[in-house]
Amino acid sequence: MTDILHERERQVYRKGAEPFQIDCEKQSAAGSVSQRACVFCGSRVVLYPIADALHVVHGPIGCASYTWDIRGARSSGPQLHRLSFSTDLQEMDVIRGGEKKLFAALCELIDAHHPKAAFVYATCIAGIIGDDVNAICKQASEAKGIPVLPVHSEGFKGTKKDGYRAACEALFQLIGTASTEGIVPTSVNILGDFNLAGEIWMIREYFERMGIEVVACITGDGRVDDIRRAHGAALNLVQCSGSMMYLAKSMKERWGTPFLRVSYFGIEDMAQALYDTARFFKDSEIMRRTQELVHLEIDKVMPQINEYRRDVRGKKAGIYVGGAFKAFSLVRALRLLDMKTVLVGSQTGSREDYDQLRELCDEGTIIVDDSNPLELAGFLQEKEVDLFIGGVKERPIAYKLGVGFCDHNHERKEALAGFAGMVNFAREVHSTMMSPVWQFTSRRRKEMAV
Amino acid sequence: MRKVAIYGKGGIGKSTTTQNTVAALAEMGKKVMVVGCDPKADSTRLLLGGLAQRTVLDTLRDEGEEVDLDDIRRIGFGNTYCTESGGPEPGVGCAGRGIITSINLLEQLGAYKESIGLDYVFYDVLGDVVCGGFAMPIREGKAQEIYIVCSGEMMAMYAANNICKGIVKFANAGGVRLGGIICNSRKVDNEREMIEELARQLGTQMIHFVPRDNDVQRAEINRKTVIHWKPTCPQADEYRNLAKAMDANRMFVIPKPLEMSALEKLLMDFGLAEELGQDADATPAEIDLAAATPANTLACD
Repeated sequence: MTDILHERERQVYRKGAEPFQIDCEKQSAAGSVSQRACVFCGSRVVLYPIADALHVVHGPIGCASYTWDIRGARSSGPQLHRLSFSTDLQEMDVIRGGEKKLFAALCELIDAHHPKAAFVYATCIAGIIGDDVNAICKQASEAKGIPVLPVHSEGFKGTKKDGYRAACEALFQLIGTASTEGIVPTSVNILGDFNLAGEIWMIREYFERMGIEVVACITGDGRVDDIRRAHGAALNLVQCSGSMMYLAKSMKERWGTPFLRVSYFGIEDMAQALYDTARFFKDSEIMRRTQELVHLEIDKVMPQINEYRRDVRGKKAGIYVGGAFKAFSLVRALRLLDMKTVLVGSQTGSREDYDQLRELCDEGTIIVDDSNPLELAGFLQEKEVDLFIGGVKERPIAYKLGVGFCDHNHERKEALAGFAGMVNFAREVHSTMMSPVWQFTSRRRKEMAV
Repeated sequence: MRKVAIYGKGGIGKSTTTQNTVAALAEMGKKVMVVGCDPKADSTRLLLGGLAQRTVLDTLRDEGEEVDLDDIRRIGFGNTYCTESGGPEPGVGCAGRGIITSINLLEQLGAYKESIGLDYVFYDVLGDVVCGGFAMPIREGKAQEIYIVCSGEMMAMYAANNICKGIVKFANAGGVRLGGIICNSRKVDNEREMIEELARQLGTQMIHFVPRDNDVQRAEINRKTVIHWKPTCPQADEYRNLAKAMDANRMFVIPKPLEMSALEKLLMDFGLAEELGQDADATPAEIDLAAATPANTLACD
């Protein structure tokens, strides 16, 4: 059995144990090296795909450099978001305050790049020395005539989830500031897709084929002017619920925009997302086009998926991701490949999320909240996992143990959403599993010796 | 070399008392350096005759890494060395970090080197120890003895008690000790007796009672210490006596801060004694100062 810190015992659940209980949505235990990122990092990953905005990190250089182009978030136009700007606060700036430097940086950058808006991220140090970031943003906005939005993402404020919220609050300042003229009634905003490897282009195309207008992508391939009129859309589709639920709820409260939770990962969830959207508009034409689209796309990808399935059938997988909603999709996608999920966890899942995961999983599956590298390594060994799916911080855990790894986080460069994405996912799982390299790891050598 | 830090409520007269005492020590032939640790940078004005002192932090900003000791250290009255940390303008940045940076720089530049032959370093610190930076002068390896400037006014005593709480923390971690309370009189009723009793309860001593005298004010207007301005006036002798008492001081303690209720009682017993219809002299007379020697007195040297 894996060693688990006493304080964390209630954050690990094994399917089958009764009654079901799991602690979650709490601060990480001291001494547990959580896989969670900081508040600022949370804000940064959510907002940075807005491609025609200036993103200025008000803090020491490390904050900006470690989050530079952190996702593979692609843009169909401007590439401004991929640059990392920082006020590079140093010792004398800390002592004398960084307000003047921030104002100067904003003026210089806005003149040089002509962005549609600017986001200013307040980091730990800006919060501690008490720089009035709001006032500087207001001044810069008045001086340069574009929205300059403070993002209150001081790292010490809480967890990554608080950073998501700060990002949503900044976005909320922008929404509702432009005319909604010309937006058709069958329109949506795509919330919580970040256009990794161009995924949002795929999703957007599906909706357009169904006859639905996409008003704003928030934030993948995002544009400031689209976001300003996002309140004109009839429906919000929320994918990464951990990051965008707050915005969806705020928009519902302010403009009455209803929202649906969706996922674009895996054939089942992708189809479900399209059908749910079609059903919302109660339009038989849209429904007919949706059915056509789903049938066509599934027919296109199934033969290939079937081929991959033959080889990977029966293999055991572990999943550890940021938001639990993605974990649901992955469990289903793996099931389509006849693989068993024996370990599944998330950094920010809620009680309802874990309840749903429990229903989805087989007996004995480990469900874990806010895990750490030692636990994950223990679980991988205990469950003899063949394939681990996670992000950049989980990769070395898998490789050190000689376990195959599949990147399903924001650093990846392969599109895994949509119907075509499922083929990519199956291919990636297949090529990882079939690699001859695993026979040389100590784990397999031991097995062979026996 | 003795390293001394002066703390006390804002406006109580720390800088004035420090500079006048330093002038007296210089007169005694001691080699003294004053490090102003207040962003206002007004701790060395009297010693320097009002000379605008370029602060350590201004110099650091303007010159970058190429700072020389002579850029930030001026010679004042009686060949005292004077430096000012300086800091941000009010309301921005982190003044506490500024203190840390400038004290570190002084150390790097060798301002405390043995070859300089300093007898004393005085840190004159901002009234309220509002954050960690302002406690920098009493961290491990910095000032070993602290004097608190206080008067018989309630908030001054309250501040003195709070400072003692801070000293306890640093005394346990490092080696800093309380050397005594300097009473800078505000002509409060029973002031001397009250501060003596406060000192006794804190486990320390009132090292000197500096009476209120307008000569201090007159000297200040002339941008001089009292000793410099009028060496023969009685107030000059008060500072000489304070300097002598400090120089001879061997009573260095970890203070025992008072509970709020004990502090209030002290004020009631002394300050309001008359209003309460008691014999105003009775309470102070009961104090047995002979028994006041604290158990935790530590021998110096």
